Amino acid sequence: MKQSTGREQVARTDEIPIVLTEEARKFVQEVIRRSGERVDWCYQCGKCTAGCPVAFAMDIEPSRIMRLVQLGQGERVLKSKAIWLCVGCQTCTTRCPQEIDPAKIMDTLREMALEKGYIADREVVTFFKSFLDNIRKFGRSFEPMLVLQYNLKSGHLFQDADKGFVLLSKGKLPLRPSHNSASVKQIFEALEGRKR
Amino acid sequence: MKVAYYPGCTLASKAKAFDQTARWVAQKLDIELVELPQWQCCGGLVPQVADAVMGLLAPVRILADAQSIGDRLVTLCSFCYNTLKRANLIIQQDAERRQKVTDFLEQQYDGKVKVVHMLELIRDEIGFETVRSKVTRALTGIRVAPYYGCLLLRPSKEIGLDDPEDPTVMEQLLEALGCDVVDFPRKVECCGSFMIVNRPEIAAQCSATILRSASNLGAQLLVTSCPLCQFNLDWQQMRMLESNGEISPVPVLYFTQLMAMAMGIEPYLLGFEQHLVDPRPAVMELRL
Repeated sequence: MKQSTGREQVARTDEIPIVLTEEARKFVQEVIRRSGERVDWCYQCGKCTAGCPVAFAMDIEPSRIMRLVQLGQGERVLKSKAIWLCVGCQTCTTRCPQEIDPAKIMDTLREMALEKGYIADREVVTFFKSFLDNIRKFGRSFEPMLVLQYNLKSGHLFQDADKGFVLLSKGKLPLRPSHNSASVKQIFEALEGRKR
Repeated sequence: MKVAYYPGCTLASKAKAFDQTARWVAQKLDIELVELPQWQCCGGLVPQVADAVMGLLAPVRILADAQSIGDRLVTLCSFCYNTLKRANLIIQQDAERRQKVTDFLEQQYDGKVKVVHMLELIRDEIGFETVRSKVTRALTGIRVAPYYGCLLLRPSKEIGLDDPEDPTVMEQLLEALGCDVVDFPRKVECCGSFMIVNRPEIAAQCSATILRSASNLGAQLLVTSCPLCQFNLDWQQMRMLESNGEISPVPVLYFTQLMAMAMGIEPYLLGFEQHLVDPRPAVMELRL
């Protein structure tokens, strides 16, 4: 490596080493290991944020999430609302010039946040749990019950009542669930048996 | 041509019009759609999470059932297509997970069924020339904007249906039907997806951006292949039309509805009464 004078070191920030604490380093490695994605390749071009359809609503935009992960700022990232707002549309993944999959990293971060009990957006978790419960019960998605359960659990009692009324009047909502739930129940039961 | 068909939950409920018109069109194109005798939810988004042995059970069960019908499984819903195709890739490439899943399901499956979207089947096996030859009432003089959304195209390395930034399969189809195709810059943008449930105000903004763009470009119809995109754009549009004069109506149709129209379906079979923003005024102008 070329020897440089002190002056140059001040001017060229790329040569200033960033020292991570042991905890921070562990976090970066954990994200890379779980996602299989080289988050350290991100050079902050910002394309992910530019294309993200929900960046406008995020507390920390995708490119900043990437940078915070590189710096091992686990607490800030896992407690962010942003990771729960990502819908996985994969626009960022399609456009990343470094071929990193930020959507997958978001997914990994959600998983890590859940394990730590950090859920900055309770609604989305409630929604996914209600969805799985619905499939367990009916085999196929039965939306009237799904929405009812979600509303009860999330406390938004009358949310979507407007949608339900319109859909019903348009003949788009079934009044009875479809068949084929017995074998699906068996799958769920076997899975839970295995987990214990 | 005989192919296995997986409708998926929404095509049996909210998107019945999609299912009905697809079956009608398939018959016209000599495609025999054989619905799986027993099917359940494909799992939707759940199989996409990182450690997904559990999430693979639902899609693999569907794929394993399909192999007794044929070597291909056709779907129409973008969510189901994405889920089944990606699960199939995992089964092909990851022997360990394949073993776990097939042991659990007590069904043999090695990933040999090909998951195809109806659009793919039409483009690659039927051909747009054949489609053109079946058109009895060309849809000339109506401006139609194709809208792809996310899951039909991305992640492109795994899905590979078309160019993820500038797909053309729907444009080619619309041209074959005689439509005036709108060059639509927001055709691959996300509609807000399932956030309509947990963050409706954010989903509304995503959909509104797409609708404003379509309206500004003078589109008279939007065409999609995803029941969730259809719902989000239809719902948000209804609200925008009620509350302000910001946009003109751009009813959202499934591509099979448009195909069926061009191929001479009886209008009452189109399921237009299920739409929130009525497509009939726009369609009437065609004087079919």
